[in-house]
Amino acid sequence: MLPKGMSLKDKVAVVGGLGQSWQKEIASYLAEAGASVAVFGKDKDEMTAAVQAVEKLGKQALAVTTDPTSPGEVSKMVQSVLKKWQKIDILVNSFNLFLAKPLPEISAVEWTKALEANITPVFLSTQAVGRHMLERKEGKVINITSGLAERGLPNGSAYCAAKGAVVQFTRAVALEWARSNVRVNAIALGWMEDSAEVSKEEWHQNLVRYAPLKRLAGPEDFAAALVYLASDASSFVTGSTFYITGGLMAHG
Amino acid sequence: MLEKKFNLEGRVAVVTGGGGGLGTAICLALAEAGADIVVTDYRVDAGEATAASVRQTTGRKAVFFPADITKPEEVNDMMSRAINQWGKVDILVNCAGIVRGEIPKPFWEITDFDWHRGIDTNLSGAFYCSRAVVKHMIDRHYGKIINVASGFGMRGLKGNFMYNTAKAGVILLTMSMALTLAEYNIRVNAIAPGLFETIGPKERYETSARFIPMGRVGQPPEIGALVVYLASDASDYATGEVFSIDGGALFSGYAPINYIPIVPLKEK
Repeated sequence: MLPKGMSLKDKVAVVGGLGQSWQKEIASYLAEAGASVAVFGKDKDEMTAAVQAVEKLGKQALAVTTDPTSPGEVSKMVQSVLKKWQKIDILVNSFNLFLAKPLPEISAVEWTKALEANITPVFLSTQAVGRHMLERKEGKVINITSGLAERGLPNGSAYCAAKGAVVQFTRAVALEWARSNVRVNAIALGWMEDSAEVSKEEWHQNLVRYAPLKRLAGPEDFAAALVYLASDASSFVTGSTFYITGGLMAHG
Repeated sequence: MLEKKFNLEGRVAVVTGGGGGLGTAICLALAEAGADIVVTDYRVDAGEATAASVRQTTGRKAVFFPADITKPEEVNDMMSRAINQWGKVDILVNCAGIVRGEIPKPFWEITDFDWHRGIDTNLSGAFYCSRAVVKHMIDRHYGKIINVASGFGMRGLKGNFMYNTAKAGVILLTMSMALTLAEYNIRVNAIAPGLFETIGPKERYETSARFIPMGRVGQPPEIGALVVYLASDASDYATGEVFSIDGGALFSGYAPINYIPIVPLKEK
């Protein structure tokens, strides 16, 4: 049995994705805990896989093809989810586009794109879904970010700035909505297997050696934290960032 | 799959401060998830009551062994009894502490006794208890240690010195222990609770609630699921991390709670 209050039975979750978002896995974990799940984004293969995974778990699913950086499309996406289920209890923002480049070589176009991809959809969907949650006086928002929100990395100026922005956005909105029973939290991931960050074998090995737990992470490593924050079991938690980094945040 | 990860059946947990408000809630939550509980506290009646309550409401096994966590010999003795009771200890929750043990007095009048009492109860106790169990955990190549720190371990507190200093120590102890014990499959994490309604008059909490972003204090059972998460396989990739549960308190504090400005974008 899941701990008291952690079931997501009868809940409706919306999972936004862009880039390497683990959208399919996130949708599955929420469905496994009992939620119906809508996914939105531009990656049709990922969304189809998410829908199939949710339906396989016996839950209802919906995919809404959406450019998550477009205010109009995000707002339409919210309408279609509400049309199907009349409510949204949980929003997960998982927008993740990596960029590693020496600062002198980053073009203004790359900078804008990296920031827009990692932050703008968090703003747009939290705003659009948040309006509905504020009306209902109930909701949970979970923003997926990275330990690089809180640590520096050579060649990571744009990515670190963007991921840090997600944490600060989380804190500010958490305070803004604290008395409206809409809780806003973040999960910061560590170095993930099969990600752009570790796409070279030598980088991968270097990081595994360095990591306190001697392995990189998979999406299953943050599944429990996700369901906890999405559920009523975390009723006194808001503005918090759960770092699930395998010990990296303790490193000097 | 998730349900299995949160399952604590067959695990043994030692909870210090188990007779207190948060400690009792932690014992009950761990037992509900399947663990058997060793309650420890220097308050015999309160500790016994928690153990009885665990047995009655969850049907799990629970015993009480008294110990003053500021006394290493008592801690070592308690931990040996705990290990012998069911042959092992999988989980240690360092929850004992004195929340408002400090009598407000001018900084320059704090005595050596006051200082050591505050530091010993809130910091040294967690060290003594961890030290007493870690060799056993290393031998078994398994362990979960959860330190109950505080949001004040990361913030200043006017007129109060030992509590937040000690809790800051608990957070750093958590990090160094996590790095040191990772290779033995022992996870060490901290919880940073905000204000929970534990002891004392209700009115005091009503006043405090106004300064918490969520507008209320926490109720002890609300900490349960977070402790079960950190005590179970569900959190296996988390170590050396700090988890706040405080109604938004940790990241407020830059402005009064009623300061909610509206200023439009305006270029000169």
